[in-house]
Amino acid sequence: MEATRPLFIPVILGTARMGRMSLHAAQLVAREIGQHSGVDTELVDIAQLPLPTNDAGEAIKDPVFAATMDRADALVIVTPEYNHGYSGLLKHVLDSCLKEYIHKAVGIVGVSAGPFGGTRVIQNLLPVMRELGLVTIFWDVNFSSVRKVFALDGVLLEQDYRWRIDKFLKELFWMAKTLRHGREHVALD
Amino acid sequence: MANTSDQKASGKMICPRCGAGMNHHCDKPVYGASPHELTEHDPDNVELLSGGLITQFHSCPNCGAAASRNA
Repeated sequence: MEATRPLFIPVILGTARMGRMSLHAAQLVAREIGQHSGVDTELVDIAQLPLPTNDAGEAIKDPVFAATMDRADALVIVTPEYNHGYSGLLKHVLDSCLKEYIHKAVGIVGVSAGPFGGTRVIQNLLPVMRELGLVTIFWDVNFSSVRKVFALDGVLLEQDYRWRIDKFLKELFWMAKTLRHGREHVALD
Repeated sequence: MANTSDQKASGKMICPRCGAGMNHHCDKPVYGASPHELTEHDPDNVELLSGGLITQFHSCPNCGAAASRNA
Protein backbone atom coordinates (compact mmCIF):
# COMPACT_ATOMS: atom_id res chain seq x y z
CA MET A 1 0.00 0.00 0.00
CA GLU A 2 2.75 2.39 1.02
CA ALA A 3 4.59 2.13 -2.30
CA THR A 4 1.54 3.07 -4.34
CA ARG A 5 0.25 5.93 -2.22
CA PRO A 6 1.57 9.25 -3.54
CA LEU A 7 3.26 11.64 -1.18
CA PHE A 8 1.14 14.64 -0.28
CA ILE A 9 3.09 17.81 0.43
CA PRO A 10 1.02 20.98 0.83
CA VAL A 11 2.66 24.40 0.66
CA ILE A 12 1.61 26.82 3.42
CA LEU A 13 1.76 30.49 2.51
CA GLY A 14 2.56 32.10 5.86
CA THR A 15 1.37 35.66 5.48
CA ALA A 16 -1.89 37.47 4.86
CA ARG A 17 -0.42 40.88 4.06
CA MET A 18 -1.59 42.87 1.07
CA GLY A 19 0.91 42.81 -1.78
CA ARG A 20 2.79 39.83 -0.37
CA MET A 21 5.60 38.73 -2.68
CA SER A 22 5.72 35.44 -0.78
CA LEU A 23 2.67 34.41 -2.79
CA HIS A 24 4.85 34.15 -5.89
CA ALA A 25 7.42 32.08 -4.02
CA ALA A 26 4.75 29.73 -2.68
CA GLN A 27 3.17 29.32 -6.11
CA LEU A 28 6.56 28.59 -7.66
CA VAL A 29 7.38 25.93 -5.06
CA ALA A 30 3.96 24.33 -5.51
CA ARG A 31 4.44 24.26 -9.27
CA GLU A 32 7.86 22.67 -8.88
CA ILE A 33 6.44 20.01 -6.56
CA GLY A 34 3.72 19.37 -9.12
CA GLN A 35 6.36 18.48 -11.72
CA HIS A 36 7.25 15.34 -9.78
CA SER A 37 5.30 12.16 -10.37
CA GLY A 38 4.10 10.45 -7.23
CA VAL A 39 3.80 13.70 -5.28
CA ASP A 40 0.59 15.67 -4.82
CA THR A 41 0.43 19.19 -3.47
CA GLU A 42 -1.85 22.13 -2.87
CA LEU A 43 -1.34 25.71 -1.78
CA VAL A 44 -2.73 26.56 1.67
CA ASP A 45 -3.19 30.31 1.99
CA ILE A 46 -3.51 31.22 5.66
CA ALA A 47 -5.38 34.36 4.66
CA GLN A 48 -8.25 32.13 3.55
CA LEU A 49 -8.59 30.20 6.83
CA PRO A 50 -11.55 31.28 8.96
CA LEU A 51 -9.83 31.09 12.34
CA PRO A 52 -11.13 33.22 15.22
CA THR A 53 -8.60 35.24 17.19
CA ASN A 54 -10.35 35.22 20.58
CA ASP A 55 -9.05 31.74 21.38
CA ALA A 56 -6.11 29.62 20.26
CA GLY A 57 -4.79 26.12 19.79
CA GLU A 58 -6.89 23.09 19.02
CA ALA A 59 -9.99 24.87 20.34
CA ILE A 60 -10.19 26.81 17.09
CA LYS A 61 -9.14 24.03 14.73
CA ASP A 62 -10.41 24.43 11.18
CA PRO A 63 -11.59 21.01 9.92
CA VAL A 64 -10.39 21.56 6.36
CA PHE A 65 -6.93 22.70 7.42
CA ALA A 66 -6.69 19.87 9.96
CA ALA A 67 -7.66 17.29 7.34
CA THR A 68 -5.03 18.67 4.99
CA MET A 69 -2.36 18.43 7.68
CA ASP A 70 -3.53 14.92 8.58
CA ARG A 71 -3.22 13.79 4.97
CA ALA A 72 0.18 15.45 4.52
CA ASP A 73 3.43 13.49 4.53
CA ALA A 74 5.46 16.68 4.67
CA LEU A 75 4.95 20.43 4.64
CA VAL A 76 6.58 23.36 2.95
CA ILE A 77 6.22 26.60 4.87
CA VAL A 78 6.84 29.76 2.87
CA THR A 79 7.35 32.62 5.26
CA PRO A 80 8.37 36.22 4.86
CA GLU A 81 10.60 37.77 7.50
CA TYR A 82 8.92 40.54 9.47
CA ASN A 83 11.25 42.23 11.98
CA HIS A 84 13.34 39.03 12.08
CA GLY A 85 10.26 36.94 12.90
CA TYR A 86 7.30 35.13 11.38
CA SER A 87 3.79 36.51 11.15
CA GLY A 88 1.58 36.15 14.18
CA LEU A 89 -1.12 34.71 11.96
CA LEU A 90 1.18 31.91 10.78
CA LYS A 91 1.86 30.89 14.38
CA HIS A 92 -1.84 31.14 15.19
CA VAL A 93 -2.66 28.80 12.30
CA LEU A 94 0.12 26.31 13.05
CA ASP A 95 -0.89 26.13 16.71
CA SER A 96 -4.38 24.99 15.77
CA CYS A 97 -3.12 21.45 15.13
CA LEU A 98 -0.66 19.11 16.80
CA LYS A 99 -1.48 15.45 16.33
CA GLU A 100 -1.65 15.98 12.58
CA TYR A 101 2.03 16.99 12.39
CA ILE A 102 3.75 14.31 14.42
CA HIS A 103 6.83 12.82 12.73
CA LYS A 104 6.27 14.55 9.41
CA ALA A 105 8.92 16.40 7.46
CA VAL A 106 8.97 20.16 6.99
CA GLY A 107 11.04 22.39 4.75
CA ILE A 108 11.10 26.13 5.18
CA VAL A 109 11.32 28.78 2.48
CA GLY A 110 12.32 32.24 3.66
CA VAL A 111 11.44 35.40 1.78
CA SER A 112 12.79 38.87 2.38
CA ALA A 113 13.05 42.21 0.68
CA GLY A 114 16.66 42.46 1.83
CA PRO A 115 19.76 40.38 1.21
CA PHE A 116 19.41 37.64 3.84
CA GLY A 117 16.55 35.69 2.31
CA GLY A 118 14.64 35.10 5.52
CA THR A 119 17.49 33.30 7.29
CA ARG A 120 16.51 34.85 10.62
CA VAL A 121 12.86 33.91 10.40
CA ILE A 122 13.86 30.36 9.50
CA GLN A 123 16.06 30.15 12.59
CA ASN A 124 13.19 31.45 14.70
CA LEU A 125 10.77 28.90 13.28
CA LEU A 126 12.98 25.88 14.01
CA PRO A 127 12.12 25.50 17.72
CA VAL A 128 8.44 25.92 16.88
CA MET A 129 8.67 23.12 14.33
CA ARG A 130 10.26 20.81 16.87
CA GLU A 131 7.58 21.45 19.47
CA LEU A 132 4.90 20.72 16.90
CA GLY A 133 6.47 17.31 16.24
CA LEU A 134 7.66 18.24 12.74
CA VAL A 135 11.09 17.13 11.52
CA THR A 136 13.07 19.81 9.72
CA ILE A 137 15.27 19.17 6.72
CA PHE A 138 18.51 21.10 6.53
CA TRP A 139 18.22 22.51 3.05
CA ASP A 140 16.28 25.80 2.94
CA VAL A 141 15.35 28.07 0.09
CA ASN A 142 16.12 31.73 0.66
CA PHE A 143 14.51 34.32 -1.58
CA SER A 144 16.67 37.40 -1.12
CA SER A 145 15.71 40.79 -2.53
CA VAL A 146 12.46 39.20 -3.59
CA ARG A 147 11.33 42.15 -5.66
CA LYS A 148 14.20 41.36 -8.03
CA VAL A 149 13.41 37.64 -8.11
CA PHE A 150 9.81 37.97 -9.28
CA ALA A 151 8.07 40.43 -11.54
CA LEU A 152 4.95 41.96 -10.03
CA ASP A 153 2.83 39.47 -11.95
CA GLY A 154 4.76 36.56 -10.43
CA VAL A 155 7.02 35.68 -13.33
CA LEU A 156 10.31 34.24 -12.08
CA LEU A 157 13.20 36.47 -13.16
CA GLU A 158 16.09 34.51 -11.67
CA GLN A 159 16.09 30.96 -12.97
CA ASP A 160 18.79 29.78 -10.54
CA TYR A 161 16.03 29.40 -7.98
CA ARG A 162 14.71 26.36 -9.81
CA TRP A 163 17.95 24.51 -9.04
CA ARG A 164 17.81 25.56 -5.39
CA ILE A 165 14.20 24.44 -5.09
CA ASP A 166 15.05 21.12 -6.74
CA LYS A 167 17.78 20.44 -4.14
CA PHE A 168 15.38 21.41 -1.37
CA LEU A 169 12.62 19.15 -2.68
CA LYS A 170 14.88 16.15 -3.16
CA GLU A 171 15.79 16.19 0.51
CA LEU A 172 12.20 16.86 1.52
CA PHE A 173 10.90 13.91 -0.52
CA TRP A 174 13.54 11.62 0.98
CA MET A 175 12.63 12.70 4.48
CA ALA A 176 8.91 12.39 3.77
CA LYS A 177 9.30 8.82 2.52
CA THR A 178 11.58 7.85 5.36
CA LEU A 179 9.34 9.29 8.04
CA ARG A 180 6.24 7.76 6.49
CA HIS A 181 7.91 4.36 6.66
CA GLY A 182 8.90 5.04 10.26
CA ARG A 183 5.46 6.24 11.32
CA GLU A 184 3.76 3.24 9.81
CA HIS A 185 6.25 0.45 10.46
CA VAL A 186 8.79 1.27 13.17
CA ALA A 187 7.29 0.83 16.60
CA LEU A 188 8.28 2.80 19.66
CA ASP A 189 8.69 -0.37 21.73
CA MET B 1 -6.98 12.54 12.87
CA ALA B 2 -8.88 10.51 15.37
CA ASN B 3 -8.40 10.87 19.09
CA THR B 4 -9.76 7.69 20.51
CA SER B 5 -9.64 7.56 24.27
CA ASP B 6 -11.98 4.60 24.71
CA GLN B 7 -9.44 2.01 23.57
CA LYS B 8 -7.02 0.57 26.13
CA ALA B 9 -3.72 2.44 25.88
CA SER B 10 -1.73 -0.77 26.26
CA GLY B 11 -3.36 -2.69 23.39
CA LYS B 12 -2.82 -2.37 19.66
CA MET B 13 -4.71 0.65 18.43
CA ILE B 14 -7.16 -0.10 15.64
CA CYS B 15 -7.25 2.24 12.67
CA PRO B 16 -10.46 4.28 12.78
CA ARG B 17 -10.45 4.46 8.97
CA CYS B 18 -9.70 0.91 7.78
CA GLY B 19 -9.61 -1.30 10.88
CA ALA B 20 -5.98 -2.43 10.57
CA GLY B 21 -3.66 -2.59 13.57
CA MET B 22 -1.75 0.67 13.93
CA ASN B 23 1.91 1.39 14.65
CA HIS B 24 2.68 3.23 17.90
CA HIS B 25 5.55 5.58 17.05
CA CYS B 26 5.58 8.39 19.56
CA ASP B 27 4.58 9.57 23.02
CA LYS B 28 4.44 13.24 23.91
CA PRO B 29 3.30 15.33 26.83
CA VAL B 30 0.59 17.53 25.40
CA TYR B 31 -0.02 20.76 27.25
CA GLY B 32 -3.11 22.85 27.14
CA ALA B 33 -5.39 19.99 28.11
CA SER B 34 -8.47 21.14 29.94
CA PRO B 35 -8.71 20.69 33.74
CA HIS B 36 -11.59 18.30 33.11
CA GLU B 37 -9.33 15.99 31.10
CA LEU B 38 -6.61 16.10 33.73
CA THR B 39 -8.83 14.93 36.56
CA GLU B 40 -9.64 11.73 34.68
CA HIS B 41 -6.07 10.50 34.87
CA ASP B 42 -3.46 9.50 37.42
CA PRO B 43 -2.86 12.48 39.75
CA ASP B 44 0.61 11.15 40.62
CA ASN B 45 1.79 11.21 37.02
CA VAL B 46 4.68 13.66 36.85
CA GLU B 47 3.60 14.95 33.46
CA LEU B 48 0.19 15.76 34.86
CA LEU B 49 1.86 17.70 37.65
CA SER B 50 3.52 19.86 35.02
CA GLY B 51 0.21 20.45 33.32
CA GLY B 52 0.39 17.99 30.43
CA LEU B 53 -1.09 14.69 29.36
CA ILE B 54 0.94 11.89 27.83
CA THR B 55 -0.51 11.23 24.42
CA GLN B 56 0.34 8.29 22.19
CA PHE B 57 0.55 8.76 18.42
CA HIS B 58 -0.19 5.91 16.03
CA SER B 59 -0.11 5.55 12.23
CA CYS B 60 -1.76 2.94 10.05
CA PRO B 61 0.52 0.84 7.83
CA ASN B 62 -2.42 0.03 5.57
CA CYS B 63 -4.00 3.39 4.78
CA GLY B 64 -1.69 5.96 6.40
CA ALA B 65 -4.29 7.34 8.81
CA ALA B 66 -3.02 8.84 12.03
CA ALA B 67 -4.65 8.63 15.42
CA SER B 68 -3.85 9.43 19.03
CA ARG B 69 -5.02 8.43 22.47
CA ASN B 70 -4.11 9.22 26.03
CA ALA B 71 -1.44 6.92 27.46
